[in-house]
Amino acid sequence: MKKIWAQATKEFALFRRDKLLILLAVLMPIVLMTLAGRTQSLRLRNVRLLVYDYDNSPLSRTYLETYGAALTFNISPHQEGESPERALSAGRGRAALIIPPNFERDVRRGDEPTVQLMIDATDSNAATALGNMAQALNASFAYKSGVSPQRRELVTLDQRLWFNPGLSNPVYFGTGALGMMLIIFPALLGALATAKEYEMGTIIQAYASSLSAGQWITGKALLYVLIGLVEFVICFVLGIFAFEYRIPSDPSVLVVATVLYLMAGVFFGMMMGNATGNQSAAIQGVQMGSFLLSLLLSGYLFAVSNIPPQIRWFSSLLPATHYVQIVRNSILRDVGWETSFRPLIALVILAFLFFMVNVMQMRKMQFKG
Amino acid sequence: MPAFLRRYLALATKEVQQLRRNRGLLVQLMIPPTIVLVIFGYALNPKVRGLRLGVVDESLTIQSRELVDALTQNVNFNVAKQFLRAQDAEDALKRLKLDLFMVIPMDFARSLDRGETAHVQVVIDAVDANTAQIAQGYLQRALDEYNASGGVIRVADINPKRTLNRAAHPAPPPGAPDVQSAYIYNPGLVTAWHYVTGVMSIIMFINASLVASALAVKEKETGTIEQLLMTPAQTGEMLLAKTSPVFVLMMIVLFVALAVGRLVFGVPVRGALWLFTLAGACASLAGIGIGVLVSTISKTQQQAQLLTFFVNPPITLFSGATSPIENMPEIFQKISYIDPLRYLVTIVRGVTLKDAPWSALWPNLAVLAGFAVVLFSISAWRFRKQ
Repeated sequence: MKKIWAQATKEFALFRRDKLLILLAVLMPIVLMTLAGRTQSLRLRNVRLLVYDYDNSPLSRTYLETYGAALTFNISPHQEGESPERALSAGRGRAALIIPPNFERDVRRGDEPTVQLMIDATDSNAATALGNMAQALNASFAYKSGVSPQRRELVTLDQRLWFNPGLSNPVYFGTGALGMMLIIFPALLGALATAKEYEMGTIIQAYASSLSAGQWITGKALLYVLIGLVEFVICFVLGIFAFEYRIPSDPSVLVVATVLYLMAGVFFGMMMGNATGNQSAAIQGVQMGSFLLSLLLSGYLFAVSNIPPQIRWFSSLLPATHYVQIVRNSILRDVGWETSFRPLIALVILAFLFFMVNVMQMRKMQFKG
Repeated sequence: MPAFLRRYLALATKEVQQLRRNRGLLVQLMIPPTIVLVIFGYALNPKVRGLRLGVVDESLTIQSRELVDALTQNVNFNVAKQFLRAQDAEDALKRLKLDLFMVIPMDFARSLDRGETAHVQVVIDAVDANTAQIAQGYLQRALDEYNASGGVIRVADINPKRTLNRAAHPAPPPGAPDVQSAYIYNPGLVTAWHYVTGVMSIIMFINASLVASALAVKEKETGTIEQLLMTPAQTGEMLLAKTSPVFVLMMIVLFVALAVGRLVFGVPVRGALWLFTLAGACASLAGIGIGVLVSTISKTQQQAQLLTFFVNPPITLFSGATSPIENMPEIFQKISYIDPLRYLVTIVRGVTLKDAPWSALWPNLAVLAGFAVVLFSISAWRFRKQ
């Protein structure tokens, strides 16, 4: 224990000297979390819809108003003489609505005129959503303008949206962002500190010392886990103000999970440091292995269940997947140990796995004492 | 041979030799784009499927079962379990065994028989706002169809013109205009195209900045920068020599990424390839500029890497590579204009997927080139000041 403590104090002394590092450690989570929580959203807003109204009748204008009334669309007139294809390919709009001549006459006759909607499908997700939205608006126009007979409602759905009644995106991304923040910095510091020992050659001292591999690793990791905990507090406070975090009624799961998650992150970083022995390679490893993969595969952006089953197993190897789930369980759903038990076990296994890899990497070189 | 060229060549040779010895760096530069592109192209999928639906049928009548059938004809729902009490379904939802459940009340069949509107309650786990919204949409659509059919779905009722539509959309009500959606540029609605082109741009930019800052700081750390500063070479030449091998590597990475996108996901290249190349070149120069700039601020490699780490995620998030810029709050949309990656993403998608006209792309290219020049000059100036 004493040896671990000594190693940790040494790490702290090194860390304290680096003012920029301390500044970054505090500033980074605040800025990044705000951005990560606020910029990402899959809900369509302000989609520029180019309008080609060849009928220009009262009814066609009413039809357009239906689209304009939905917050999704931002109706903009097309430039004179520009074809919809060209306007879309130039990126002047995301979709073009073409209302044929004699629209009003055909509707009144019951001829069901064809309205064309050209959608820029570069972003296929947004395109599908737009297509569906247009269908819904079209139907609502038909009922409201009295074109279609009112149908009798046999059944209505009374919907309750639990845990996030406003369907707010920041609430979802804000909780995911917490997981992102806590994986970046501690893992990075762990990787750098370890790789640096190799670069400076001071790793030989660790090999030659009486420290066992486990003690050396624990001592080194301790400080970074602590820094991570400080970041956790900072992020949580920010979350309360910016992302509607609620303090869970049983915070113990979250706290335990956070410690485990930080350990997994730091051990992963150190593993990268050990494996590469070079700071810039270690960083790249962490950037790819933990940040980018976690950002995209952990359920921060898209639900894990959307990932095709062939690669879904891969997400369960990421600590972030389990942690983000626990965070959402605790902060949003306010459920405790029972629900979060499985991801918690996964975190324990992953942290232990990364730790063991570290021990093996170290032991290879160490003198038997 | 003019003196400056000689000096440049000498320095560039030194850099190339250093790089060649650094196998790790080469591997880092070449492998990640390939793997990352393939994984993300396959894995990133906002399409919601297989929602686990719980059913609490308190009515237990033919009518209620018909409703359940009608709603779950949709492939996106799997009936996970039938519950007898609403309480059990609630517990299952809290334990994440379900994504949503519906409660059909005891008087469901009776209300239908009396010609009243029956109410069915649906509870959705809305933590994931996007998925919840999509689930709502699916349910509502299925219900619309159920209502329109008067409670019974008969195949004979469906008129042929409608059937064509049904695959993607519910039938519009009779008499309503018929909206024909044409999905241009990506008629198969391949999700991967969007992400592959986005991630491609991210890799270009971020790798350039990471590698450049690592190389520049290394010189400082090992103290060899003094030797460099004492050579007759100008700082500009020095910087040029230092960055040109990285630049060449980044261009190779760019084409490797494009080839992967093309071969694995069939991403088309509809526009001018030279435009794509030029944009990639500008972006990697801008990335290198940021990398060098960061390295001049920091004292150790550690600090440099951390700073790039601080700079890169915002650049990624603001670029619109992963989620559309229009969806961001107003203020962030404005900030995104100072994100060089935004312009690269526009050009890459414009060239590959859309064959966008030159008139739409050149402003983006101009801004990107502007960024490259400005960032590179600032970094040269800072480099000289050391």
